[in-house]
Amino acid sequence: MSARQRAIIEFMLDNLVWLLLIVVLAAFSIGIPSYFQIGIFTNIIEDSTYVGVMAIGLAIVIIAGNMDLSVESVAGLTAMVTGILFCNGGIGLGYTMAPVEWLAIPVSLLLAIAVGGIIGFSNGLLVVKLRMNAFIVTLASYIWVRGLVLALSGGRSAQGMVPELRIIGIPIDPILLPPSALIAIVSFIGFSFLMRRTPFGRHITMIGGNPIATFRAGIKTDRLILVSFILAGAVAGIAGWLLAIRTSGATANLGVGMLFKAFAAVVIGGVSLKGGIGQLPGVYAGVLLLSAIQTAINLMGLPAHYTQLILGALVLAAMLIDTLKLQIRQRLA
Amino acid sequence: MTETTPLLQLDNIVKNYGAIEALRGISFDIARGEVLALLGDNGAGKSTLVKIISGGLEATSGRIVFDGIERNFTSPAEAKAAGIETVYQDLSLCTNVDVVANFFMGREIVKRFLGVPILQEREMQTVVEKAMANAGTRIPSMRTNVEHLSGGQRQAIELNRFVHWGGKLVLLDEPFAALGVEQTRRGLDMIKRIAAQGIGVVIITHIMAQAFQVADRMVVIRQGKVAGNVERAKTSPDEVVRMITGESL
Ligand SMILES: Nc1ncnc2c1ncn2[C@@H]1O[C@H](COP(=O)(O)OP(=O)(O)OP(=O)(O)O)[C@@H](O)[C@H]1O
Ligand SMILES: [Mg+2]
Repeated sequence: MSARQRAIIEFMLDNLVWLLLIVVLAAFSIGIPSYFQIGIFTNIIEDSTYVGVMAIGLAIVIIAGNMDLSVESVAGLTAMVTGILFCNGGIGLGYTMAPVEWLAIPVSLLLAIAVGGIIGFSNGLLVVKLRMNAFIVTLASYIWVRGLVLALSGGRSAQGMVPELRIIGIPIDPILLPPSALIAIVSFIGFSFLMRRTPFGRHITMIGGNPIATFRAGIKTDRLILVSFILAGAVAGIAGWLLAIRTSGATANLGVGMLFKAFAAVVIGGVSLKGGIGQLPGVYAGVLLLSAIQTAINLMGLPAHYTQLILGALVLAAMLIDTLKLQIRQRLA
Repeated sequence: MTETTPLLQLDNIVKNYGAIEALRGISFDIARGEVLALLGDNGAGKSTLVKIISGGLEATSGRIVFDGIERNFTSPAEAKAAGIETVYQDLSLCTNVDVVANFFMGREIVKRFLGVPILQEREMQTVVEKAMANAGTRIPSMRTNVEHLSGGQRQAIELNRFVHWGGKLVLLDEPFAALGVEQTRRGLDMIKRIAAQGIGVVIITHIMAQAFQVADRMVVIRQGKVAGNVERAKTSPDEVVRMITGESL
């Protein structure tokens, strides 16, 4: 086999989930009468925003060889913080940045990033300094952070987001996508670049592959793992901020169930739970794929629980494909 | 610091793993440009000593003077920065990334763009291809992940890596264990060439012929203590074997 053929096969294997996405979109477009419309496609992209952004951080932590189960609750927390501060109804305090009202956008976003980052930092610290198992540490955070959301809200909700923030969730005329969807796309591009083209991403990937080797090579493995947790928290914080804007408020259980979707997307996107393997564009394709299927189910008027069945089947399929890919690669070498 | 001060002085190095006394007071020197064979049976403490010199383990007690300065390395990064390169017995490669990424692990060539360091893949690949060609290592593509390479190819990557990066002292823990005849011969030649540049070399091996081929001096460790420290010219394989096993003459 020539080097060129081999490169093509490798490329296809690396981008299998994109291939799958195209096939699925084509099949739905042919099979479901009302599917093939710009509005449906922009909807899929918009719908992928929240799980998508959350999945970025989750994927990075998993690639580094760890785990972060807390991202969903962190998003819930930053959504609640944003809701309480910048909503007029319910428990909302209705802050404005008058006279420069648009300042609410950067202020609330930075706050969400900071809150998420702090929880990520505490997760990372426990993992790196006390050598605690990441699964357990972040499972605990998953629980206590959601508890904090309940405590903050007293079980009540905030509604009526101030208009200067709401524009983030309103479609822009010519492209039919809201700024929030663009934020997700830009985040994926930015973090993909970070992972593929900078020493940071390279080192994270290598730590996931062999932490002893990277330590011996003089790479500051502990610090990088800590940073990966901070990133995951911060990015989950952004996801929560976007979620609050979309729903124009926050309830105590906002975001519940997103963890499993983010997880499914990460796995379907080709990230190995063993660490060291996976790419962010694939994760985005995984999120889009889930969303495309969800949309099809809605359009066909099937009951919602079908989504869960398909989600589960997809995760299993992704695992099978993963082992298959490995076998093909071994034959290539 | 003059040319005559030793490159590395070990003074009464002790290492305990809990109740196990792996090293019980090791002292010896190594000069610039000297090749020292570190010999001893399985479990004698050779790898432990190498890890202490390279910053991966901290000694329980003892003094390390390297390049004229007393050192207390707390991480491999510090030892590396001081000029100590190590090839470990259990290979230190990330098999999930390609040859180039492994070769440059932690020392990637970058160009800053708006302050962001960007990996220079082409440039790195060229360097690796040259280094591999110089050493006569054949690897089909520098872009294949290391998991698909043979044991010998992997070991060659590690060896070529340290040759490329140089330094003042290299520690080789059974570097040729997975290499074929021709590759081993090249490896031994390479060690002589490195030493000729004034770099100190510590090589651990169980093969007496290899030790006698490259080393200027033999240090034998037995049960965590120095059981012999002799110049090659003044000893014989038989004598060294007796030191290793502890048989009396
Ligand atoms: N992490 C550890 N914990 C406890 N004991 C250890 C540890 N590492 C090594 N030892 C013990 O220390 C002693 C020296 O081990 P070391 O690996 O240095 O031997 P070696 O001379 O390199 O042997 P070999 O030729 O088999 O590689 C052995 O008794 C070993 O069991
Ligand atoms: Mg050993």
